[in-house]
Amino acid sequence: MTFRTRLLWMVTLAVVVSVGLVEWMVTGTTRDAFERAEAQRVNALVAQFRREFARRGEEVDRAIGAIAGSETALNIALASDYAPYYNEASTLASANGLDLLELVAGDGSIISSAEWPARFGYKEDWLVAGGDWQGRATFLRREELADGPILALVAVGEARAGDRRVYVTGGQRLDRAFLSSLVLPEGMRVVLYLPPNQLIGPLGSVPDAKVFAPLVADAMNLREFSRVVGAGSSAEIVHAIPLIGAPHELFGALFVASSRRDLVQMETSLRDIGVALGVGGILVGIALSWWATARVTRPVRVLAESAQKVAAGNWDTTVEAGPEDEIGQLARAFNRMTQELVAQRERLVQAERVAAWRELARRLAHELKNPLFPLQITVENMQRARVQAPEQFDEVFREGTGTLLAELANLKQIIGRFSDFSKMPAPQKQTLDVNHLVADTMKFFEPQFALAHIAAKSDLDPRLPAISADPEQMARVLRNLVLNAIDAMPQGGALLVKTAARNGGIRMEVSDTGQGLTPEECDRLFTPYYTTKTHGTGLGLAIVQSVISDHQGRIWAESQPGKGTAFRIDLG
Amino acid sequence: MFFRWFALLSAVMALAAAATRPHYGGTLRVEVEASVETADPPQTGPGMADLSGAFLVTRWEGGRVAVYSANEDAPGGRPFLDSVEIQMGRPLREQVIDLELKKADVVELGPSEVRRAPAPRKIWTSAPVRLLALVFSERISDARIREALALAVDRSAIHNVLLQRQGEITGALLPQWISGYAFLFPTVADIGRARGLTAALNPQSRALTLSFEASALRPIAERIALNARDAGLGVSVSQRNTGADIRLVEERIADRQPLRALTTLAAAVGLPQPARADTPEDLYTAERALLDAYRIIPLFHLPDGYGVNPRVKGGPGITPLGQWRFSDLWLETGRQ
Repeated sequence: MTFRTRLLWMVTLAVVVSVGLVEWMVTGTTRDAFERAEAQRVNALVAQFRREFARRGEEVDRAIGAIAGSETALNIALASDYAPYYNEASTLASANGLDLLELVAGDGSIISSAEWPARFGYKEDWLVAGGDWQGRATFLRREELADGPILALVAVGEARAGDRRVYVTGGQRLDRAFLSSLVLPEGMRVVLYLPPNQLIGPLGSVPDAKVFAPLVADAMNLREFSRVVGAGSSAEIVHAIPLIGAPHELFGALFVASSRRDLVQMETSLRDIGVALGVGGILVGIALSWWATARVTRPVRVLAESAQKVAAGNWDTTVEAGPEDEIGQLARAFNRMTQELVAQRERLVQAERVAAWRELARRLAHELKNPLFPLQITVENMQRARVQAPEQFDEVFREGTGTLLAELANLKQIIGRFSDFSKMPAPQKQTLDVNHLVADTMKFFEPQFALAHIAAKSDLDPRLPAISADPEQMARVLRNLVLNAIDAMPQGGALLVKTAARNGGIRMEVSDTGQGLTPEECDRLFTPYYTTKTHGTGLGLAIVQSVISDHQGRIWAESQPGKGTAFRIDLG
Repeated sequence: MFFRWFALLSAVMALAAAATRPHYGGTLRVEVEASVETADPPQTGPGMADLSGAFLVTRWEGGRVAVYSANEDAPGGRPFLDSVEIQMGRPLREQVIDLELKKADVVELGPSEVRRAPAPRKIWTSAPVRLLALVFSERISDARIREALALAVDRSAIHNVLLQRQGEITGALLPQWISGYAFLFPTVADIGRARGLTAALNPQSRALTLSFEASALRPIAERIALNARDAGLGVSVSQRNTGADIRLVEERIADRQPLRALTTLAAAVGLPQPARADTPEDLYTAERALLDAYRIIPLFHLPDGYGVNPRVKGGPGITPLGQWRFSDLWLETGRQ
């Protein structure tokens, strides 16, 4: 992943996280605000319902008081026969706007009932048991009617004539009409629950009664609570009010429900807008970060490309230095560094050249000095014999010239090897079976292995592909490595030549069990004229490396002192 | 001085005699709740059919109005009234108002209106000639249901309040004034026993329907339903339900002769013909037999009641059996 991509990812991630965080905070805060407003709205409606309830109670109280204080009630109280007043309750209820009205004798017998006229003569014992009803507030009461029980807001009054009394009890039904008379804001509704399973709404039946089923049980536990029911745009927040009558008897529950449709729509709109803004912000952020990262990373990219060029050997690469910022300073530092590298390389090359010449001179001096010394001794011997023993001069001369010729031949050989090294020909490549080459070489060295007490072995990969190489040069390489291994094991040992197919090419390994090399010796192993042996020119491994290099291959040595050395060559 | 007083007394007596002397002429305005929708005037039954002979139909609009004019050739002589105009289909409450406003001369009175008729009060009542009873359909085959309802009905409360003590509580088909033994049939409610009978019934059979014809009978039907509820029976009330399990019926006794009256009643309510009875004991036994199965539960015998405008003289205009006898009536104002 490029620096620019990584930077772009980081900036994009930062933008996304920032936008998401802002969106989450805004949405959350707004939703909380809406929720609070919704709760206040429901509370307001509940308060409105309570006021309406209280107002209806006052109306009922006034009406009952008016009837109890009327002359009609007084006449009934005074009457010895209540039968003529059988229909009176209906008339009085209608005149006073009451749904329910009963005129009850002092013994609790119903004189007249507006809501259930047929109940005359039946007892309303709760009135008698209630004692003095004067001054008591309205209360909820469940009334049994011909078509089932109802819930009503009732009051009780008394008409007294001496020791005779008539109870006047009546009120208003809490029913569909009562609910529909409540002025509700849009999106709100009121549902009345009457046990065991009656749900009444302003329009009569409640179509989605099952929504309220889970709330009934809690409401019937005398608990007032608010709860969200349903999901999505059909969700409602429902405030449950247990309807408790006297004496602390639960008659039902009232559910004030407020639709959350507007809230959900608002949240949805907010979320959509937020998502749109977020996506837009992210896209803009990505575009800006794309531009910014491109701008920021271009000098870095140029620097990286230049560094790669430098790594590839193009040391005189320079970059354009920008403004005086960190990147500009870096570019200038890079340019200085490459300039310094070029200068150092030149100095190094020069130093190495000098060192090579010195080494060459030293080796030449060393190699030439050995034959020169016998030459000098021989010549001095012949001069001394001419002067001191002329009779032996011929003998000395014959031996001396022989020695001189031998040493001259030696000098010639030395100079030839140096000449060979300097005149390494270009490889004549052809298809080469390396396994076959290894087998031939091992066979060639078999007598020497026997003399040196070396157990030679080869491990050849049958899948080894043929490569394009100069057979002569590769044979020279292998022979050189085998000779090196034989030299490394003067007391005998084991030699292994191994081939293996590798990534379309081959690997060849020549390992021995000799004394091994130190890391420093490994580093200098392929340096021309470097040798760890007492004899040799130090050009063998240098020639090997030169051949491998000419074949675009690689050679290296791995060794541990006392455990032998392995030379590995990758080709192809 | 004596002559002066004598002359004054003679004048007062002459005036009084003039006031009680029948006048010819005038139209008697009658209102009835029933609405006779036939093409021709009724020829039988109580009410308008009773006018035949003394009066002749001169105008007939079924269900609305009928005008009967005096028959100049009536067997007993021409009636005093020139005509009788009958408005049909008038609710009882409006009839009372019309009487009070003097827009009507003779109106029908329901039980509550009989006691609360406006002053100056002038009422004609017949003997208790209408039997109010519950009649079970053949579907109600379980006698326990029928007996339970018979025991559940609190006749006394209905009589005291809804009927304003008009008529008589009864457990018999024939009224006391005709049979003389009606008091022998039990009328007292026994809710405990009724509950005992219904306790063994399955819930489906406890649900019954009760139908009534006239709107005035609705309170009685509803009270009976309430009594039935106390006994463990679920009775739903509806008007003019031909398929009801129970009917609250009103049957008129049209004959003073007990056996004929009983035979007619039995036929009217779908009971078998009573056995021949020559003695009161036999008649009682025959009626007892008709009632034993509780196919019919007699409740009350009610009289006919009419509110009458004080200007109507010569009454009462009805017989003990409730038949109209308008031929002897005359109006105080006479022909105008």
